Amino acid sequence: MSISLPEMGIYFSLLLFLVGLLGIMLRKNIIFMMLAVEVMLNAANLAFVSASVLTNTIDGQVIMFFVMAVAACEAGIGLALIISLYRARNTLEADDLRILRG
Amino acid sequence: MLTQASFFILGLCSVFLSIVMLTRKWPVTAAMLLIVVMMMLAGMYGVLGAHFSAVSQILVYAGAIMVVFVFVIMLLNIPTNELRYGRVTLFEWLLIFFGVCIAVLLGTRVGQGYLMIESTAARAHARAPYYPVSFNENVKNVSSLLFTDYLWAFELVSFLILAAIVGSVVIAKKARVNHVNKSS
Amino acid sequence: MEFSYIQILSTVLLMLFGIAVGAQIAPIMSWVERRQCAFIQRRLGPNRVGFFKYRVFGLAQPIADAIKLLFKEDFIPPYVHKAFYVLAPVIPVMMGLAVTVVIPWGSHLIVGGEIVNLQAVSLNSGFLILFALSSLSVYGVTLAGWSSNDKYSLLGGLRASAQMVSYEVAMGLSVVPVVLIWGTFDLQKIIASQSTILWGFLPNWGVFYAPVSFVIFLVTIFAETNRLPFDLAEGEAELVAGFLTEYGGMRWSLFFLGEYSMMFIMCALTVCLFFGGYELPWVSQHDLILWLSSVVSETVARWLLLPLGIVVLLVKSIVLMWFFVQVRFTVPRFRYDQLMKLGWLYLLPIALVNLAVTALVVAFVRFH
Repeated sequence: MSISLPEMGIYFSLLLFLVGLLGIMLRKNIIFMMLAVEVMLNAANLAFVSASVLTNTIDGQVIMFFVMAVAACEAGIGLALIISLYRARNTLEADDLRILRG
Repeated sequence: MLTQASFFILGLCSVFLSIVMLTRKWPVTAAMLLIVVMMMLAGMYGVLGAHFSAVSQILVYAGAIMVVFVFVIMLLNIPTNELRYGRVTLFEWLLIFFGVCIAVLLGTRVGQGYLMIESTAARAHARAPYYPVSFNENVKNVSSLLFTDYLWAFELVSFLILAAIVGSVVIAKKARVNHVNKSS
Repeated sequence: MEFSYIQILSTVLLMLFGIAVGAQIAPIMSWVERRQCAFIQRRLGPNRVGFFKYRVFGLAQPIADAIKLLFKEDFIPPYVHKAFYVLAPVIPVMMGLAVTVVIPWGSHLIVGGEIVNLQAVSLNSGFLILFALSSLSVYGVTLAGWSSNDKYSLLGGLRASAQMVSYEVAMGLSVVPVVLIWGTFDLQKIIASQSTILWGFLPNWGVFYAPVSFVIFLVTIFAETNRLPFDLAEGEAELVAGFLTEYGGMRWSLFFLGEYSMMFIMCALTVCLFFGGYELPWVSQHDLILWLSSVVSETVARWLLLPLGIVVLLVKSIVLMWFFVQVRFTVPRFRYDQLMKLGWLYLLPIALVNLAVTALVVAFVRFH
């Protein structure tokens, strides 16, 4: 089956996105959830770059930079929150954070 | 032929390694595996011809963001017996099965969605100036688009990064207890 | 994408040559360092080890060191995290050698009717690969510190990697004005633009166009390669031996191999960006080829100029590395807070202002 390179990239991006999504749903350690979010963002990046090669426009690669910058901000703040959470509750499992009963 | 094979191998390895990464017990191992996944993704961008994206993926993602991850994981210094790592329950197997079903469903739908690529491409090509993907002028095309059409987004993202820097420093600081001065 | 065997073979050979040079620089630099240290301290240094009966200025000292280190017992302490302990020394070496592929050893050769670019990886986003891979070599230090399962190593490793990451920012920002001036990331084009004459008597080198960039870049590559005055990570008086505490024998020397080859790469990049690369100062290779083409054909002239280009590049890099060695034994070490203050509070604003001023001047010159 002759499948073009960027189309294969979109399929891989789909697989990576679902792996990341399942990772968030299944792992309860907050650090692993953040790593899974990074996997999902990378999958989105791959989809953007593949789409840019597929349509022969450069916009996808430009958007990839913005996604990367936003991922950096989100990772920074998420990790700062993890640090302060660990200091307050001394746990890193999402199952232990049930004071609000929800 | 070689490019297709290398792209396929890189893609398969990245999906497989990300599955392995999310089933590890130690966070540091998972972070290192994620770095390898990111480098494989950078390789895929390089095979696709977007080498500026590949280099900046390694520079920013694998060389800066993951360094922050690794720092935080090492500084938190979680003792090993507190890492909860158990067997996969039935509910989790059901979730994985439904995830695979969604992948299959979307995969075939995505295959049908590619018929819209031509019209999208035609609309993008009709807008002038139109920057094509070219191997020898990749940096020039990306940066000329970044500073003309996406200038607002660029400046706003720089504000976002500034806010994130300030926010993460403030959030991660230890709360200072105000000592009341006893004057007698 | 064409697949000509000449291009594949030349790329592979250039990569192997780059790796060979990067790997051989480390022993030579260790000898240079010890002799120069000794001369600065008014003594002689290792000058005994030679070949058979001849003491060739002690040039076989690195070979003797290598043999000693290879025969030492390879002891993995039982309390370390084995996988990362073994992996950590490999990362700086891998990055230090992998990044030699962007060095241009000459302009180009003509082999079998095809133009062979004497730079193994010549992309449009040229030397950014160097910054990318050197930002990955932070992990070697971090993993070495963490896997040693030891308070001193962890602290030393985290401090060293924080230092390296901080100075990467200023390093990248100080190179952007150079790219603005020359208008491209491609090292071959940058070196080709540096081969003319500026103002009648100076070679058209980047250091005359962007002196502030040069100074900032030089300071940051000291910090990137953990050399004095920024070598808090390996400082003997502090933190026992930092992240190297649990390493001995060949693993320990692998870190220094990586550090020396990264130092060579950074010096080679400085030379290519600021000092004209493989071009002689006033006599460009273009002139030499025109002069030689009257005697031999152009192909043979280019083959004759290949060793000249390599020698010029290596001489310039070695002069810069000798400067590194001089600084190491002259300047005292920074304290950690002084180091971070310098990186974030002094170098970063200066680099930003330099970038803004250069951008304004370049825009004015180019569009008026």
